[in-house]
Amino acid sequence: MKSIDLKSILNFSAFRPEPDDPSASWKKRFPAEKTVFFGLGRGVLTWRGISRSGNPGDLEIVRAEPKEILSQSAEHIKSLTEQGWCAISLNTRYVISLETNLSRRTGSEEMLKTNARGVLGGRYERGKRYALTHNPETNSSILLTFDEDQTRKTEALFSEAGFRVGRVCCGAYLLLKHALAQTNTVKGSEQPVSTFYIVCCEGAVCALVQDQDRWLELRSRTDVYEEDFTPITDLLAPFHSRLSPDIGITLVCDEPMDGLEDRLAKVFPNRGITDLSQPALLATLMIQN
Amino acid sequence: MQITERKIDDFKSDRKDIAPPLPVVLRLVPLLFYCSIAVAVILSSVFAIQFQMAVQKRDSHKASTDSLSSQTQDARNERAALESQIKKATDTQSWVASSRPLQPLLVEITRSMGPRSSIVDLRLDRETDNPSQIKMGLRMNADSTKQLDLTVEKIAGLNYRAFSPTQTLGRGELDYKATLVHQDPLRQQNEEAQQ
Repeated sequence: MKSIDLKSILNFSAFRPEPDDPSASWKKRFPAEKTVFFGLGRGVLTWRGISRSGNPGDLEIVRAEPKEILSQSAEHIKSLTEQGWCAISLNTRYVISLETNLSRRTGSEEMLKTNARGVLGGRYERGKRYALTHNPETNSSILLTFDEDQTRKTEALFSEAGFRVGRVCCGAYLLLKHALAQTNTVKGSEQPVSTFYIVCCEGAVCALVQDQDRWLELRSRTDVYEEDFTPITDLLAPFHSRLSPDIGITLVCDEPMDGLEDRLAKVFPNRGITDLSQPALLATLMIQN
Repeated sequence: MQITERKIDDFKSDRKDIAPPLPVVLRLVPLLFYCSIAVAVILSSVFAIQFQMAVQKRDSHKASTDSLSSQTQDARNERAALESQIKKATDTQSWVASSRPLQPLLVEITRSMGPRSSIVDLRLDRETDNPSQIKMGLRMNADSTKQLDLTVEKIAGLNYRAFSPTQTLGRGELDYKATLVHQDPLRQQNEEAQQ
């Protein structure tokens, strides 16, 4: 046994998951350590410090090439952390799609990392990383696809800037899963849920139509908006004619977006809007899970 | 439909040598380690305090013993001085008691002589080492030992007791030798009362 192992036992760190153990929640990995969350978009980088007690700090947004921002502000951002650990939400260059008849064998979601072909079959593409969410009542699934090279480049970009990457995820996908979990809470098909999910996360928009528990249509675009909400409404407006009259809207954003609900109400008149957005919602979800 | 929000899908390149955390039960190991350190510190403190108290108590006892020894020595010295004084007083008393005047004894011996008896030689010697003892040597002309008995009776009347008496009769002279020791009648009475 090395002295570092002995030290880790005496300071109880050996009983906590390692900082880059993806199976453990962020809170368990860093119980009393300052970290930082990044949001990486096209031409935009956001970051938010997480305090030792796990409370998200203020969001900072810089619209420029992330590489330039990191080269200029890395030291300032690193001061928000203790050992440089960070989590990254990739908000660009991903695809969220609706698929059917994917393998649902036990452990298939975990098998995506080791043998994605075995799960995705013909939909598998070399050089991609995947995540899946199955609809338990139908044969449809939501598939998130990332370019593996792009993910590695992102990790290298932050590593070169002196950060230690503890997690790489997709904010919009995470918010969509959160909205699904918040609305679909009754097991079985006796109380089917119909709603139109709208997810906005740092420029990315994802829309999913759920009718009687069935996922009918999904549209996901990255780098859609900055300050103006018009691109969002333009993207979503075509759904109005295809939605059943009784379907409401479930809106979830990484931060409350003042005025978006009114704009959506104009595009989708006579539809109830449930806003699940909360301040620092994405950061809170990333800390808790 | 129910969708549970589970762990976040992580796209980070996995490190191969990630070790799982140790079981929670094994937290007892460092906990016991820290507890043992705390107990050791507490016990050491207690023992140190007790050691200090014991040292102080020992020093106190030692000082007390030294003081008592000094007092005992003083008492012994005083006792020795008193005993010396008592011995001197006793010697003085003995000397005073023994050096009582010989004149009454001489007068009584002389008066005890009858009409047909006379003293040829009378010697009274007091010993230097033991002055209470008087060696008496009496040579007298007497036709019988009655005179000697009378004289001895008179001597006893003066509270003198005769030890080792010897008498020799020859050619009309009676030679009597004895060691006389004066007896204090009050002391005799006290001793008899105690017995």
